[in-house]
Amino acid sequence: MPVVDIDTDELRGLTGRTDASDDEFKEDLFGLGLEFEGETDDGLLQFEFAPDRLDRLSVEGVARSLRYHHGDDRGVYVPETNDPEWTIEVDDSVPDERPYVTGAVIRGVDLDEGALESLIQLQEKLHATMGRGRAKGAIGIHDLAMLKGAPLQEGSEPSITYRGVEPDGDTFVPLDANDELTPAAVLDEHDTGRTYADLVADLERYPAIYDELGLFSFPPVINGKRTEVTTGSRELFVELTGTDQWTIDRMCNIVCYALSARGATIEEVKVNYADGAAAPSEYGAELVRPNLDLDEKSVGHDRIETLLGVDFEPEEVVDCFERAGLDASYTLDEDVTYEVEIPPYRVDVLHPLDLVDDVGRAYGFDELEPRYPDVGTVGGRHERSRLEDAVRTSLVGLGFEDLLNFHMTSGTENYDRMNVEPGSAAFGGGEPVEITEPYSEEYTQLRTWALPSLVLLLERNTHNAYPQDVAEVGFVAERDDSENTNVAERRHVAGAVARRDASYEAAKGRLQAVCDDFGAELATPRTEHPSFIDGRTAAVEIDGERVGVIGEVHPAVLVEHDLEVPVAAFEFDLDALR
Amino acid sequence: MRLPERQLAVLEAASATDERTIDEIAAETGLKPETVVGAAFDLRDEGLCSVAERTAETLDLTDEGRRYVDDGLPETRLYRAGLALDAGEAPVSMGRVIGEADLDGPEVDIALSNFARKGFGSIDSGELRVDPDADPDADPEGAALAALAAGDDPGADDAVLERLDSRGLVDRGESVTRSVTLTDDGVDALMTGVEAAEAVSELTPELLASGEWRDVEFSEYNVKADAPTTRGGRKHVLRRTADRVKDVLVGMGFQEMEGPHADSDFWINDCLFMPQDHPARTHWDRFALDVDPMDEIPEELIDRVETAHREGWGEDGDGYHSPWSEEFAREVALRGHTTSLSMRYLSGIAGADLDPPQRYFSVEKVYRNDTLDPTHLLEFFQIEGWVMAEDLSVRDLMGTFEEFYRQFGITDIRFKPHYNPYTEPSFELFGEHPETGEEIEIGNSGVFREEVTGPLGVDCDVMAWGLALERLAMLTTGAEDIRDLHGTLADIEFLRDAEVSY
Repeated sequence: MPVVDIDTDELRGLTGRTDASDDEFKEDLFGLGLEFEGETDDGLLQFEFAPDRLDRLSVEGVARSLRYHHGDDRGVYVPETNDPEWTIEVDDSVPDERPYVTGAVIRGVDLDEGALESLIQLQEKLHATMGRGRAKGAIGIHDLAMLKGAPLQEGSEPSITYRGVEPDGDTFVPLDANDELTPAAVLDEHDTGRTYADLVADLERYPAIYDELGLFSFPPVINGKRTEVTTGSRELFVELTGTDQWTIDRMCNIVCYALSARGATIEEVKVNYADGAAAPSEYGAELVRPNLDLDEKSVGHDRIETLLGVDFEPEEVVDCFERAGLDASYTLDEDVTYEVEIPPYRVDVLHPLDLVDDVGRAYGFDELEPRYPDVGTVGGRHERSRLEDAVRTSLVGLGFEDLLNFHMTSGTENYDRMNVEPGSAAFGGGEPVEITEPYSEEYTQLRTWALPSLVLLLERNTHNAYPQDVAEVGFVAERDDSENTNVAERRHVAGAVARRDASYEAAKGRLQAVCDDFGAELATPRTEHPSFIDGRTAAVEIDGERVGVIGEVHPAVLVEHDLEVPVAAFEFDLDALR
Repeated sequence: MRLPERQLAVLEAASATDERTIDEIAAETGLKPETVVGAAFDLRDEGLCSVAERTAETLDLTDEGRRYVDDGLPETRLYRAGLALDAGEAPVSMGRVIGEADLDGPEVDIALSNFARKGFGSIDSGELRVDPDADPDADPEGAALAALAAGDDPGADDAVLERLDSRGLVDRGESVTRSVTLTDDGVDALMTGVEAAEAVSELTPELLASGEWRDVEFSEYNVKADAPTTRGGRKHVLRRTADRVKDVLVGMGFQEMEGPHADSDFWINDCLFMPQDHPARTHWDRFALDVDPMDEIPEELIDRVETAHREGWGEDGDGYHSPWSEEFAREVALRGHTTSLSMRYLSGIAGADLDPPQRYFSVEKVYRNDTLDPTHLLEFFQIEGWVMAEDLSVRDLMGTFEEFYRQFGITDIRFKPHYNPYTEPSFELFGEHPETGEEIEIGNSGVFREEVTGPLGVDCDVMAWGLALERLAMLTTGAEDIRDLHGTLADIEFLRDAEVSY
């Protein structure tokens, strides 16, 4: 879940609540769903919240939410914008994998250390969330004074160009470096470059932004040193590139709202996609950004009432909307419907239901009185669940300790240490279902049988008292192309008797008792199995079907597991007892 | 006839003509008096002797009484001091007499009140006069105490003893003396000869069959000694918790679901309106399996789910601005939550099409690619439940979960508004730990979004919640390391010793 770091002095300034204590803020923020997590080394308070309201990733956004929460602000607020002067030209050389760009110019900025840190934090947090680690969207913020617009022709407006660059093409000095590097060299030699290299390494051309002086930014990896923003910067150029126009536009809006809250003026920029460039089909090739238009959705009064379980007057609902930072109007027809306007920093309103949630939060979910729904249904257990349970009860009655082992294991445990060949005909030797990218050598596949888990547990309990009679009714799986999932899932019944006098007879006596409990006919014709001693091994045949194996575990397997007592065991398919 | 050894000893020590007391018999046989009593009663029950009981009054000096035997009763000391100060002739100040008598503390009051009662003299305006004719040596109370101290019969009348008792100088009590006398049968038995029965350590089938058990004596055990604990089989402590959860949910009208552990991402995530670029769907959070993609998913359903993701659901729905591919949806992985089962049931693919109202649950295993530590497992059990009905409200959700958690002693549930991609409104549930009182997260809940229910063909409300079973079990068993509870790292002693929950 995202975490926002808050300087409470800044929060006091931005909310106007100069007297509020840190504890009061913590309590208010908890009410908004931001939970206090701790403090940073610099004394900032850290709050964790669910990743819906990403407009709260900075102190400015949190302050805005608090102002609505306290009723200091009501309804939708949209900052004034200046008409565009600058243009972002999108060249057809832009890599297809990262076709989109957006941006804004910010004038009249006055960044002190705190404000600058907050801006950098917002940028990083947006990268981590909406930007999906910069893959989907990345923000570059530049000192406008350091850019030299390249007029396409005499008398036209200044522009920068988003284009592709050969990996070994032009050079620039990236942030935190002193030398001119090519983009490829950045990926190779620069710390930040190495961190984000995976995002672009496979591209034929890398994304790049140029002004008249040349390459100054290498999104989504790193900006150039020339345009670095400092506390002395008074005008900024914000650009965002990514794989989805809507996503980067919204990220841009959140940044613009944060800077506007600090008194800066937002100025629009034009975005012109060249003929060969992949303009966003839903918006066209010529855009003016940031797009601070309001979204509109309508939601019925009935739906609000039934979902929250509360009777409302329309005015109360409108009041809730306004306290949520939305605007709403309605007509008094037979069915009241609200037309709701949603500000452009919201990224979480995908459906009218999300507006009902906003009403609920503004009204206060704490105010709702729980009630048990007046709905009659009949309960019951699943048949297999009852069967498993009945078998467990039988096993426990026979003195077995009921086990619950992991379903994931490794080939070493499942086959090798049991002396079984993968893909062999031996019981338990089926083709494994393997995990594509295992993170631990101990858990690389699903178990094909349960006995290895039992023996492994015995191995880990050699320090405990004997006898250790253990059993499990549990999940096993193997590869099977005839299944829709290509995985055959079964339940096996496995039991192991580990004690000085463990013998074939001890195992069979117990197996017989289980079969008797379920009225199943047991036969044990002689067979061979690499985990068991030859001549003391039988197939488990229940009602005429071969469904398992029983025998005295082979000394080689016992020694492999550091066991110093004999073990007799059985395992069979649960379905045989049906 | 055969009798246990100690009964025989008592029988032989008893006489038909003289009553023999228990103490006498004990002294003669060398048995403990309580053993003799037990044997005597057994013999009486057999009709071989009679046991007479006599109750006698006992009279014992208290510590205070014993002290007065040595020092003299306080009133007597007062009298004698008075005499010495010539208070027989003229009154003497009380303080002087008390000082002369060397009385202090409560003895002063005792002396003064009994002095007057016994007519040893008179007290007036703080002055004391003694009657020279009084004779403390003839005082029956002093005499009785002296006789008791000498072990003689006090020879006093009841009123005097009563007085001494009320002054706390003697204890009056009762003692029972038992005496044994042989009956005629007892005499006959001795004449015919009685053998001592042997003591046996085990009751055997042979003793039972032969009837010999009647004549044997069972050797005594130290019944306070520890015995080795009997180890039976036990149902796994986590299973037990699961059973309890299932009981509660069945009682609340929920039907149990089942379905595949290995499933397509479509059922695990896409149906849940989880965008395909959601962080939880990246390769390091899920366990993708190296099997071919799933073939059979209803085409129409895939189309509807894709529409929900790309365009949203309903007129004002927006959908996500995220990539969506059918190929990814068909990939097979281990389920990260059992909500995949809920999707299968709600879609009707797991059985019949469901009409409201319905309640369903499962307590089944889910798989998360996490770091194995005391509070995280790669596989754990998820409790999942949902209710489908027309016009469900947030209040119904709250009421249902309050009832569920109340069954586990967790009351005062708090609902913290939350965000899930698949529910809206959504709530994290917090409750008080039944023992520590600490506020803990105990579940996640919400009303399924229309982007979830719509494509599945459900046109009423469905509210759902989830919770890790291990979390509940750690609360009820006090386990501090989740790995003790679950998996091949389990310690068998922990499983054997875990307290039963019910």
